Formats: sequence, structure tokens, C-alpha cells
Amino acid sequence: MEEDENRKNVREGYAKIATGEHYCNAQTSCCDSSTTHEELSKKMGYTEEELNSIPKGSNLGLGCGNPAALASLQEGETVIDLGSGAGVDCFLAAKKVGEKGKVIGIDMTPEMLDKARENARKGNYKNVEFRLGEIEHLPVADNTADVIISNCVINLASNKKKVYEEAFRALRSGGRIMVSDLVLKRELPASIREGAHPSSCIKTAILKDKYLKTIEEAGFKDIKILDEREYCFEEFTDDPDVKVIVANRSTDTQELKSISELDEESKRIVKETLASTLSINVSAMKP
Amino acid sequence: MKKKLMDILACPIDKYYPLELHIFEEKDEIVEGLIICPKCLRWYPIREEIPEMLPDELRDEKDELPFLKKWKNEIPKKILSEGKPFTLKIKERAMAKKNS
Repeated sequence: MEEDENRKNVREGYAKIATGEHYCNAQTSCCDSSTTHEELSKKMGYTEEELNSIPKGSNLGLGCGNPAALASLQEGETVIDLGSGAGVDCFLAAKKVGEKGKVIGIDMTPEMLDKARENARKGNYKNVEFRLGEIEHLPVADNTADVIISNCVINLASNKKKVYEEAFRALRSGGRIMVSDLVLKRELPASIREGAHPSSCIKTAILKDKYLKTIEEAGFKDIKILDEREYCFEEFTDDPDVKVIVANRSTDTQELKSISELDEESKRIVKETLASTLSINVSAMKP
Repeated sequence: MKKKLMDILACPIDKYYPLELHIFEEKDEIVEGLIICPKCLRWYPIREEIPEMLPDELRDEKDELPFLKKWKNEIPKKILSEGKPFTLKIKERAMAKKNS
């Protein structure tokens, strides 16, 4: 029941982001490809060329960056993107796998899928498909995908083990996962976790070791951390998901430019959260 | 949705493959249609080109019954009466009972 409640919160939270109802203000709409999102995405490792090649509006600046996954894709591969959002990684992947390959984006938020489909049409992508689905119940046949990618989404799932078991099932033997995600370096103080917005990624994030163990328990081998970095404050002020950590505390978080603008308690929360979280890029193989 | 996608589509609940496809409206892609799992009799709508393959707990009967009604002449009777997670007949029967 707690899982259902979490899913509902995440769905509602991201529906609001997709439709621009929430977290946006008039000056810096997050619903077109604003400079901030592009700058931020560059920081995550996407190249300018990559960002220019995708339809405007597909980069909502929500991920933690998954450039290694994209770099690894080969022509002709079948790729599944877990939690595809407005489609940014799907469109970048589609270019890599070419006409012989295909990319399937799965997201449980109808409003996000609407955006993704609109973007697919704008970019005239022939090898990208989206479907409404849930990553704990993948609508994909066994042993069919070459690569499963996911960009800062699995941390939102209450049952991460099930997500990885489903990914394992859908991959062919020799297939791989290339995932970027938010994990905890140390336990978050209960007050911060409980005070976080229901669709915030820190609410359901788990410790790094436990996260890697989950991947291993799903059957994956050759688990590698390709990249690991701490978040910077700019990401926190811009990431709509994390913004809400302090949203209940500060009256004007939309305009946050520097940590000094926060009240003392919010400052403490942000610092503590920054010190407790990590962005990791992980790869693993299905034997 | 492209027909080719059926190659890798499985029921999200019991993972059965292959699934049955019924096309109601088609342009470049399938615009409206129905995907059926022959094993558990779950049905999944394709609306506005998007296959909706959500687990039961994320589905909304109010939102999906109009779809069943709209295409009831095209949808196999078994699905209308025994399909999961929602059926037309039970609903209609309940309505009839309520009205009588």
C-alpha cells in the first residue's frame, strides 16, 4: 500500500512538471529548452551537438545525465529507456542505433508521454516508440532488449529490486544495463527524508552499497561504476525535483540563485542533502 | 504504435508473449486499438497511438470504460464480459440492477 501511495505521488508530481503547472515561473519556464537546462545538461556530460540535435522541449533538465550509456550504443541495437520522461535520452539513443535499431521509452505519467510523443513528431523519429507502462511491470517480452538505459528514475521506485529483476528478464543474454541514478552516500536524517516532497527523489533513494547489491541480486554480473560525482548546488536550485526539498521552507525557491539566499534551516537541509547524495553511472551485464 | 512493436510486447502482469492485436483506427501508425493477453484476458488500450500497458492498480475504470463502449462492436465478446481489469457487462448489469 505504501508502494502504491509512492507511485501515485511520483506520477502526480511528474504530471505537474510535464504540464508546467508546477515548479515553473514565468521568467524561466522549464517547459521549453531554456538555457539553464542546456547548461546543466552539459555539466552532466551531454555535448552541445547532442543537445542541439533533439527537439526543443524534450530536455526538461530532470536527469542526472547518462552520457556513458549513450556513448556505448551500437547501430542496430534495441534500447529500452526506463522512465523516459519527455524523451531526451530516447532521441539521443535513436540517433546512435540508427534505422535498424529501435528505442522504446516507458513512462507511467501520461502527461510526460504526451510531451514525448509531440517531440517525436517534431523530430520525425521513425525508430522511437513510447508506451505508458511501469518499470516494475515492464510490458516487454523476455530476452529481447540489447540495452536498458535509465536516467535518474529508478531511485523513485519503491521496489528497486523488482525494477532490476524486470530489466534482467527483458534483456537478452549478453545484454547490458547502463543506468544513472541518485544514491545515498550516508543515511539522510529522518527529518529531511520525511520533510521531502512526496515525489522527491531523496524520499526513496537508498544507500549506494544497497543499490549495487540490489543489481547483483537481480542476477547481473560485471557491475561497474563508470562515474560517480557529488551534486552541485546549481543542480539543486534548478532541479525541480530537488527544489521541493526546500520549497516548503523557503517562500521563493523558484528564484534561488545561491545558497546564501536561503534561510538558515533550509541552508542546513540543502547542505546535508548535498553531503549525503551521489550521482552514479552504473553498467552491468546479463550473463 | 507501429505493428512491428508487437514483436517485443508482453503482458506486464504475467509476461505472456505474444499478445493479440486488434486495430480499430490506423493512419501511418495504429491510432486506436486493443492489445489482449490471451493468457490472463487483460486488455490494454491503444489510444492516440500510445499503447497503455499499466498494471491494474494504476488504471482508472472511469477513464477506460468509455473506450470499451466506443469500440464494443469490434472488441471480442469474451473481453467485454470476462476481460480484466474492467468489463462492460458487469458494469451494465450493475446499472440494470440499480435501475430496477
